[in-house]
Amino acid sequence: MAEIVMAYSAAHAPMMTADPGSAPREQADSFFGALEKVRDLAREKDVQAIVMMTGEHFTNFFLDGLPQIAIGLDDEHLGPPEVWLQVPKKMVPSNPGLAAHITARLIEQGQQPALSYGMKIDHGFMTVYYWLDNSMELPMVPIVLNCTTPPLMTMKQFYDFGVALGDAIRSYDGLERVALVAGGGLSHFVGEPRVGDIDEEFDHWFLDRLASGDLSEILDMPNDELAEAGNGTGEGRAWVALAAAMGGAPGQVLSYQPVYEWINGMGVVLY
Amino acid sequence: MTLYMVQRCLFDHLRRLEAAGDGPKPEIVTEGYTLTPEEKRAVTEPDIGAIYAMGAHPVIINGFCRALGYKRADYRPLLEQSGAVPPRRKTRWQKS
Repeated sequence: MAEIVMAYSAAHAPMMTADPGSAPREQADSFFGALEKVRDLAREKDVQAIVMMTGEHFTNFFLDGLPQIAIGLDDEHLGPPEVWLQVPKKMVPSNPGLAAHITARLIEQGQQPALSYGMKIDHGFMTVYYWLDNSMELPMVPIVLNCTTPPLMTMKQFYDFGVALGDAIRSYDGLERVALVAGGGLSHFVGEPRVGDIDEEFDHWFLDRLASGDLSEILDMPNDELAEAGNGTGEGRAWVALAAAMGGAPGQVLSYQPVYEWINGMGVVLY
Repeated sequence: MTLYMVQRCLFDHLRRLEAAGDGPKPEIVTEGYTLTPEEKRAVTEPDIGAIYAMGAHPVIINGFCRALGYKRADYRPLLEQSGAVPPRRKTRWQKS
């Protein structure tokens, strides 16, 4: 059976690859240093494949058909579509056996993920993935989540999804060592009047709870309250699902930096 | 119904721009979309504040503004002055 040998959540601001030098040096060093640490750990653990969740940015779906959760089921997925991202375009290999198994097990457990062939993997995936493996050969099963278009699944629902996802990965017998990755967050405002703001108070509050392993206040939070921290901040749903998949264990905050040049609270939490 | 058409019109425009690559940038197309005169004006002028006030998705607004070459310092005031900014509410993480 597969083991989730490591899991981490990381912010995915496009500027981290499009223009990394625009951030203050100390902040960039802290954030990228955390990504280097998880990259080294993945090599040490000899990870065979990753399962990665991130928010949907109207790259694959639009308002005429927008699933709350969709799983990419192809042998490989093209990314990134953003030519300005400074990440080479490539067909990134997946593990279709793992993807199919996860989908089936999630449905057996009462989850209802959409099936997607031809999924494109945008900056939500590629910024973080490229730092994990810049050869882009490590197989990745992509999962997109609706984090910005109401009505949205709640944090509690994503926690339950994460529990089921963890079970689904661990019940797969085709691999031994899988990593789970969440991309997105922390606080940021996209196309809103507060664009450019970072809610540092929220970020610290959120990270403190992930670090303690006590997510009760996060899971109790209604969607309209979460939206006060920024519409992009809803990508924290992926972080909560990941924490749930890891059994609610305390996370290790490797870095937090409010990078205003990237209009994003940047953080990395490792499990 | 027409809010969806506004968003569809903008989304399709963004996809056309993407497809054009480094070539000539296509003009926004409003034919084929059921738009009111005010909606047509807002997307062609363009009037970012009005598009926001209509309720267009912020991700679409962000993409449209980027395609227009706006920096956030350019379009933040347009949104702030739209007359549609929701009031802030107290949250559990605010200390003050």
